[in-house]
Amino acid sequence: MSPRSRQVLLAEGLARQGHVAPAVEACYEALRLDESDPLVHVLLSDLFLAGDFYDEAIEAASTAIELDPDCAPAFLSLGLAYDRRGGMWDQSILVWHELAEVAPDLVTAHVQLGEAFAAAAFEEEAIEAWRAALGLNAHEARAMYNLAVAALKKEGMATALPGFRRAGELDPSQDDFFFALAGVYDDGAAAPDPIDVAPDRDSRLGAAFALAFEEDYFSAVDLIRLILDENASDAEALALAGYLYLKQDSVNEAMAVALRALAISTKTPTAVYVLGAAFAKRPGLNRNAARVFGALAKAVPNQAMPHVLLAESLLGLQRFGQAKQAYLRAVELDPTFVRARFGLAAVFLTEGEYARAHHEIRRAAYHDTRRQGLFWRLYDDYAQGRE
Amino acid sequence: MTDDRPARLYQAFVSQDPAQAIAVIEKARSAGIAQGQLFDQLFAPAMSLLGGAWADGAIDEYTFTQAAVVAEQITSFVTPPTTAQDTGVTVLLGTMHRDHHAIDKDITAAALKEAGHRVIDLGVDVRPAEFLERADETGARIVIVYAQLIGTAHSVSRVREMFHAGGRDDLVLFVAGGPFSADISLAKQVGANGVVRGAESALKLVAKITAGRGGGT
Repeated sequence: MSPRSRQVLLAEGLARQGHVAPAVEACYEALRLDESDPLVHVLLSDLFLAGDFYDEAIEAASTAIELDPDCAPAFLSLGLAYDRRGGMWDQSILVWHELAEVAPDLVTAHVQLGEAFAAAAFEEEAIEAWRAALGLNAHEARAMYNLAVAALKKEGMATALPGFRRAGELDPSQDDFFFALAGVYDDGAAAPDPIDVAPDRDSRLGAAFALAFEEDYFSAVDLIRLILDENASDAEALALAGYLYLKQDSVNEAMAVALRALAISTKTPTAVYVLGAAFAKRPGLNRNAARVFGALAKAVPNQAMPHVLLAESLLGLQRFGQAKQAYLRAVELDPTFVRARFGLAAVFLTEGEYARAHHEIRRAAYHDTRRQGLFWRLYDDYAQGRE
Repeated sequence: MTDDRPARLYQAFVSQDPAQAIAVIEKARSAGIAQGQLFDQLFAPAMSLLGGAWADGAIDEYTFTQAAVVAEQITSFVTPPTTAQDTGVTVLLGTMHRDHHAIDKDITAAALKEAGHRVIDLGVDVRPAEFLERADETGARIVIVYAQLIGTAHSVSRVREMFHAGGRDDLVLFVAGGPFSADISLAKQVGANGVVRGAESALKLVAKITAGRGGGT
């Protein structure tokens, strides 16, 4: 048993809150007390990585691994540092291999391994690694994005684009965007029981959105039906109905109700979204989708998602330059947006800009692991294992 | 005069009559609605009517679903074709001898194909003589040579020499790859007519050449 010292706990707390400089200071203080604690080195490594000090991050993570070769968070930190530093593909491949062995169920290790292989031009091995990741988790969006990029390299955009869109659907950010358009956010409260919902339009619509958010589509549809029975021209209710159809892969039904909603009111952003998403699922309708998502991007210019959806439709039209501008806008609005980073990488590949494409993929990897809180998950598991 | 075609198409949907739906589309087509306009002018309004009928309870859920199935069956009749019509323009492309970089070439080849051009992809490590032979065989007038290494980029001049020796100075030679993007004068040096900087650039250059020559191979 080796419990965490007070100093380590302090460093950890500061790091979790994003106070990088004081956390680094606390780590050095902890090392003065015990320089053989891998936890402190791995914490330092993550902090250095957050500050883009790659060499320092590599050194700290390597020390942690030397002190304990089973220190999984150190492998993560080391691999990310190698990838972001660039030009260290051999080491990167080795590290991700190691992490996949230390934590065999860790999907991200396989995804990262694939990316390291791809960066070193081992395309077949890369595809194998991403397939292994999807074998562990069929909803792993990043593996899908990578496979789409691989398809682009071999067969062009027409083959790759459906892959980008499928990956995008696995990514919860697209659904989050729909709910954000409706002003629905996760407040932690459970959706109401449909029986308890007050019999007025607003209560029903609010409950229907909450149920849809929790993926209880059938209960949500029942409430929508009650709203429409009283007013068949309720555009917002129709838009939600369209979303529910989309989620059940009923694209034509979704298109029909979204078109009806927009015939009633063109200023229903949720309906605009549903219509665009339905168009995007139909080969040959990229022009329509681009028109709709272009309107949505104008309606909510400070949201990154519509710019990405617009960009994907532009890719389908082979208007790569315009797609690049839309992706750049999305990344400007949300630098952590993995889907936008991969899209931008795809555009760079169409321009023959490999280095910039791989840079975007590396950035996507970094933000994706951050978004998942992967470092802290591995760190906590490792720390608890020691205790 | 009101256009009742969307209403008739909607009726065909709810009657679950794909033949009738196709007949409405064909009539619209023969009345002069272009393929590219059928979706917007006919299908989308019919779908809006369908959504409205479901919303106000004029049709039940089962009929709505069945109508959507009919709409699915006839979608290909109203959507623009996924690939463009054959332009009749043949583009020959390949990566220079002793160079095995393929990604840039493959992406551009796919983009040109999708735009309706006839693409002959010679692959990687292509000898200069092969560009000439295949241009003669296929009647291609546009050739894109890829080179990602400085050495192979310089050797593209041998392709131009080969064209000259073969009496094919009419061939338009484009070059692509990092060395040419970095140093535009290199393209001139090897006798190229222009530099392709990615897929969209290839599409634009080919379109420009085709427009200048009035189409064809």
